Amino acid sequence: MQAGYWIRSKPIYGGLQWQHKAQAHVIIASGEGGRAVLRLLQQQLPPQAIKVLYLPEAQADHSHALRHMLQDVLGLDLASALSRHDTAAALWLALDEVLTASRMGTRIYAAGDEAFLWQVAAQAALHGVLNADIMREQAASLARAVYCVHCKTISHHVNTNIATCSGCQRQLLVRDHFSRRLGAYMGLMIDAEEPGNVPDILEIYP
Amino acid sequence: MSALANKLMITEPDIQTPANTSDQRSQNAGLKVIVQTIREVAEGIREFTLVSADGSALPAFSGGSHIVVSMPSGTRIYRNAYSLLSPPQQRDHYRIAVRLQENSRGGSRFMHQEVKVGMALEVAWPLNLFALSRLARKQVLVAGGIGITPFMSQVQELLRQAQASQSAVLQTAGSKITPPDFELHYAYRSQDHAAYVPELQALLGDRLKCYDQSQGVTLDIRQLLAEQPLGTHVYTCGPEGMVQALLQSADELGWPPAHVHHEEFLAPPVGSPFTIKLASSQQEVQVGADQSMLEALEQAGVDAPYLCRGGACGRCELEVLSTDGTLEHHDHYLSAEEKRAGRKIMPCVSRARCDVIELNF
Ligand code: FES
Repeated sequence: MQAGYWIRSKPIYGGLQWQHKAQAHVIIASGEGGRAVLRLLQQQLPPQAIKVLYLPEAQADHSHALRHMLQDVLGLDLASALSRHDTAAALWLALDEVLTASRMGTRIYAAGDEAFLWQVAAQAALHGVLNADIMREQAASLARAVYCVHCKTISHHVNTNIATCSGCQRQLLVRDHFSRRLGAYMGLMIDAEEPGNVPDILEIYP
Repeated sequence: MSALANKLMITEPDIQTPANTSDQRSQNAGLKVIVQTIREVAEGIREFTLVSADGSALPAFSGGSHIVVSMPSGTRIYRNAYSLLSPPQQRDHYRIAVRLQENSRGGSRFMHQEVKVGMALEVAWPLNLFALSRLARKQVLVAGGIGITPFMSQVQELLRQAQASQSAVLQTAGSKITPPDFELHYAYRSQDHAAYVPELQALLGDRLKCYDQSQGVTLDIRQLLAEQPLGTHVYTCGPEGMVQALLQSADELGWPPAHVHHEEFLAPPVGSPFTIKLASSQQEVQVGADQSMLEALEQAGVDAPYLCRGGACGRCELEVLSTDGTLEHHDHYLSAEEKRAGRKIMPCVSRARCDVIELNF
């Protein structure tokens, strides 16, 4: 684990807050990110149109709470305010459609694990949206996507300091160096010098 | 954050920011050019074609660039920034246009009255503080009056991008490269005041929209900004009122600052005379009523830094040690807090209402 020094590429995420100067609001969330969206919806609502795109995960499905909040509490028309998707592919397709029809002044918010946040950024970039234009919240899990510099496979949901590469099975040390293009942290083989000499594996990205 | 700081904060890789313009000296050393032709392009606007004095190719530049022209007039040298109008890839000449400023301190009057065909001038290397974003999906250019000038080279660059990608698409069918769509909105007082309309019409066709105020055709900036697709960048240059209206509309509509670019030509305003004291040399420099602090320093032989000479880039910033009066900030670079604090000044456009101001230089 690397501590006590600062690596520039490690992104920092704030919480979600409404941008009140806007023409519309598009919120994209997955899994635990749904909770961040619920917190956002509790803040004083902006007057412009709001659309939530949500991808539930097996361990974290806040669909019911979102539906309740948007429809019963806030009185919004669910058909336009919430679109729930069962697969990531369906979510990206829907996002593409929404962004194609959007105008400048549409504020974009994203909540989910880190890899998800950067997938949103990559999708939005196809529409000319800059990283700085998106409000992000890293929800709950600090799990990392890890890019194996040896076989170039990305392993998802890594909670530990050392992880087995899902591509080549090497033991990778998870570094703080983050690639915005890949949305993943660099992973380097840890026992290259002395095969089999692997330090204790600890859960440090719960 | 000041609005103009935003303009300079854009982080696209190809933008030359003042901080990494290492070649300050060679830029100040300048290029020797000869005035080849002079023509009137609108009421009070004169266009100059410049060729290099030794016949060599001039430095290439990117759309939106300007040059600083040195104008020796009597005992003093004026230096004004003018946008380059010629196509960026054309290296055998530069074109600039100069509007005669009503209460000109000399710069534009010099260009209009003293510059003749065949005359030699010195200009600085092209510098771009108004570059096009390469990440835009659509580019909206908004010009008011003489503010058309930086767009002349930008539209050339955009047209070239469009043509290049068109031939690329023809070669590889189904290719995903689509150049940004663009349009130029050009507002002016009347036909007589509008430079380059026929030239632009021929180049741009439907991409050019003209607003002739004398015919009652006005540009609704807010409406224009409200209907732009996601990923649009807007660029504006023109009278201060128009620029401010655009910045305000963009902000109210929720445009992220990095999508809004503007350039203002600030001429150093006149004021009352005062004295600059330089801390390092204890030298005293008199600033005339119609002279900028930077010009006064230069006239006194002080090698003060500068790039844009228009209060935009921040290169000329100097530290104020003391003054017996008040600072008159005219730049777009310092934040409101910095201006209030009174510790810094941009001598290219700002001045002081005082007897003496001491600078840490
Ligand atoms: S020279 Fe650019 S701000 Fe003064």
